[in-house]
Amino acid sequence: MKNSIKVERAKKNITQAQLAEMVKVSRQTINAIELGKYNPSTTLALKMAHVFGTSVNDVFELEETDWK
Amino acid sequence: MGFIVGIFYLLKGWDSDFLTTNVFAVSYGGVLGKYKFFGCVENNILDEIASVLIVLGALLVVFSKEKNEDEFIASLRLNALSWAVFVNYAVLFVGIIFVFDVPFFWILVFNMFTILFIFIARFYWLLYKASKNE
Repeated sequence: MKNSIKVERAKKNITQAQLAEMVKVSRQTINAIELGKYNPSTTLALKMAHVFGTSVNDVFELEETDWK
Repeated sequence: MGFIVGIFYLLKGWDSDFLTTNVFAVSYGGVLGKYKFFGCVENNILDEIASVLIVLGALLVVFSKEKNEDEFIASLRLNALSWAVFVNYAVLFVGIIFVFDVPFFWILVFNMFTILFIFIARFYWLLYKASKNE
């Protein structure tokens, strides 16, 4: 699963720590999601999209490997 | 704290008698005699104190929450726990096959605690790794 969190963060000009605080998780979590090491729960994905003012589909995107 | 008592116990052995008292036992005896159930027995309670302190201390660490406990941390916990169980039993398995007599008894003794210790080591290593690579 690809994500554009880093880009969205840059647009809003907020750091990982700030985003983490806004959606009430640890900074490690945001970091792991950005690096694609962890798939967030639906709730967390929706929260992040809410912070960015976009829909979840704009932030997360399926990849070929997700179907295997 | 438990560690200190535990190490003290390992170094000094059984011969210290300042904590020897009569305690209630559910089951005792048996090394060269019959098993006995429900009675009083004279026993050095240093090893009991050490074990209880070590396990309580480790459990305290294991069940303390992170400052910011969330779903990712929870997944790390689960990962570390399954890892600890596998590693623990892998070590025990090797021990069963290759270690005999009194050393095997010590393997069993340490196995009481290793699962918690491996969990703690693995969990904090994962957490450290997760917070390091940007």
